Amino acid sequence: MAKSQSSPIEKAARLLDLVPFISSHQGISIADLAKNFSVTEKEIFDDLNTLWMCGLPGYTPLELIDLSFDSGFVSIRNAEILQRVRQLSKEELVVVLIGLDLLSKSIGSDRADISKSIVGLQEKVRAIVGQVASAEPIVNSAYRAAIMKAMKERRDLEMEYHSLIRDQITLRKITPLEVGEDHGFEILKAFCHTVEDFRIFRLENIRSLIVSEDDPKPVNNFNEIDANFQVQLLIRERVRSALERFRVDVKDFVNSESVVIATSFSRDWLMRSVLSTLGTTNLVGPPVMIGEVSVKVKQTLALYLDPIFAD
Amino acid sequence: MSRKTERLVNLTIALLATRRYLTKSEIFRTVDGYEGSTESVERMFERDKDDLRNLGIVIEVGTFDPLFEDEAGYRIKPESYAFQLGEITNQEIALLSLAAEAWRGAALDSSALSALIKLRSIGIQSDLETLPDLAPHAVSVDNNFATAISAINSRKNITFNYLAEDLTQELRTLSPYAVASRLGYWYLYGLDHTRKAVRSFRFDRISGDVLVSGKSSAFEIPDSFDLQKTTLDQGAETIAHIYLRAGRALALRARSLPVADRRSISDWDLVEIRYQDRDTFIEELLWYGDDVVVDSPSGLRSEIVARLQQAVKRYG
Repeated sequence: MAKSQSSPIEKAARLLDLVPFISSHQGISIADLAKNFSVTEKEIFDDLNTLWMCGLPGYTPLELIDLSFDSGFVSIRNAEILQRVRQLSKEELVVVLIGLDLLSKSIGSDRADISKSIVGLQEKVRAIVGQVASAEPIVNSAYRAAIMKAMKERRDLEMEYHSLIRDQITLRKITPLEVGEDHGFEILKAFCHTVEDFRIFRLENIRSLIVSEDDPKPVNNFNEIDANFQVQLLIRERVRSALERFRVDVKDFVNSESVVIATSFSRDWLMRSVLSTLGTTNLVGPPVMIGEVSVKVKQTLALYLDPIFAD
Repeated sequence: MSRKTERLVNLTIALLATRRYLTKSEIFRTVDGYEGSTESVERMFERDKDDLRNLGIVIEVGTFDPLFEDEAGYRIKPESYAFQLGEITNQEIALLSLAAEAWRGAALDSSALSALIKLRSIGIQSDLETLPDLAPHAVSVDNNFATAISAINSRKNITFNYLAEDLTQELRTLSPYAVASRLGYWYLYGLDHTRKAVRSFRFDRISGDVLVSGKSSAFEIPDSFDLQKTTLDQGAETIAHIYLRAGRALALRARSLPVADRRSISDWDLVEIRYQDRDTFIEELLWYGDDVVVDSPSGLRSEIVARLQQAVKRYG
């Protein structure tokens, strides 16, 4: 966590922020200060030793900042000038502006008071930095909080999940194991008790989620998510879109005559992705997959040729 | 222990404490750390001023007597130095902190941390209990995101290589106006210098690093730029009528309207769906295989039939 040695300027910024922080947290331990500022205790110790030499011109004991930290606990006096909390920088304001957007979409209609506070704060921030950022979250922050809570308290979750791959909404009981990111999308690795196996869920496809009241069920399958299915493809057109869809790195694409390999733990996902890109991408292997695509394509075409759907 | 750090802090204290402008010679005489030849002290002071300004500290320059060309003086106004969001309630502190927490481990981590420190320093208890249990999270974007935000804030132009659909890379020069996320992707908006119009760019399609060029305040964001409108405006829509197999194609169904007046086919629902980009929409429809049949427009229908026929030929 702690960053390596900071530059003199970063250090000066930290000193300016240390004074008001200590002033409002008199008697805080050096360890806690280090944690709050995300630096080592040694760096904080160094900072305090520098701060000790700072003050108003004259630099007599009367003008110097009065710090005591021998005991490992820090208190400060005679620092009125620097006691003011510094203004938020533009970068910090943008951080807050986007964060408030992420929050606001998860506030229920029953909490109009909070929504109003958020709007008020955003107006204040926009008045300073302008309308330079907005965010539309795809994951409900309350669901994320419920997952964190369940993992912390070792509880199961009851989840309504929309699988785009299976084209189904199902109710599942899961033991959450790990939250992560996959190509910019948040995923939850979990043991699904409904199918008795490990599954990966995309957070934006959760339709409802509650922490279960029941005792957690044992996870009794220790097969990891292993099966990695592969398909071989030739991408002819709309190359960027196809690479993004199949999650193949741009560097792995040579030309439309060279095979690229797409991998997934979900065979169905690969199958549907191949169907989606019929117009731009050729499936060249494995043969069994080609056979299945062929059947599906014929079935679909048959519907279009069926007089019942004739236009 | 760095003399430079100490001098920057002492200069800040001196300029904050003074009620009138301090001249350079007063500063050199009284503020600790300005030692050496006149030239080197001058250089030191110029650099220090720049460094403090880069930290966002506003140093005012003024003269004692506007009628005479007096020696310039410097000061920092307490009101431009201090926390600027005014009176803040316990609930607002909690909301601001939660908003900053969203960036933990993500692209703007360090700005989020320094914002949190300032919020905690205000000395108002954060009132989390009154808020519902929420864990906002900004999905990480690469370093280009932080570079773009900083260029937007300082109004500096940027250049980058952008990946086209056919994978060619084009060098773009942009006056960046804003960032926004839509459907899980982050976009950068700005005036494209070659096209002389506002364009959007998906961050994950920027190839390599965004380079910042030139000076601050190189442009102004025009009042006519409306981020909300720009992100919502996605071009003209076409209406399609589509048969969905009963109980299937849930995601399509969710954004469709029922169409009632037509002949009904048992086990199929006829719905209306609007789309913008035809190629993207065709790929979306084909995802569902034989659970979706297009009725109209006929051009869309025939394109899908053509792709299916081609595939039958290809796969046997």
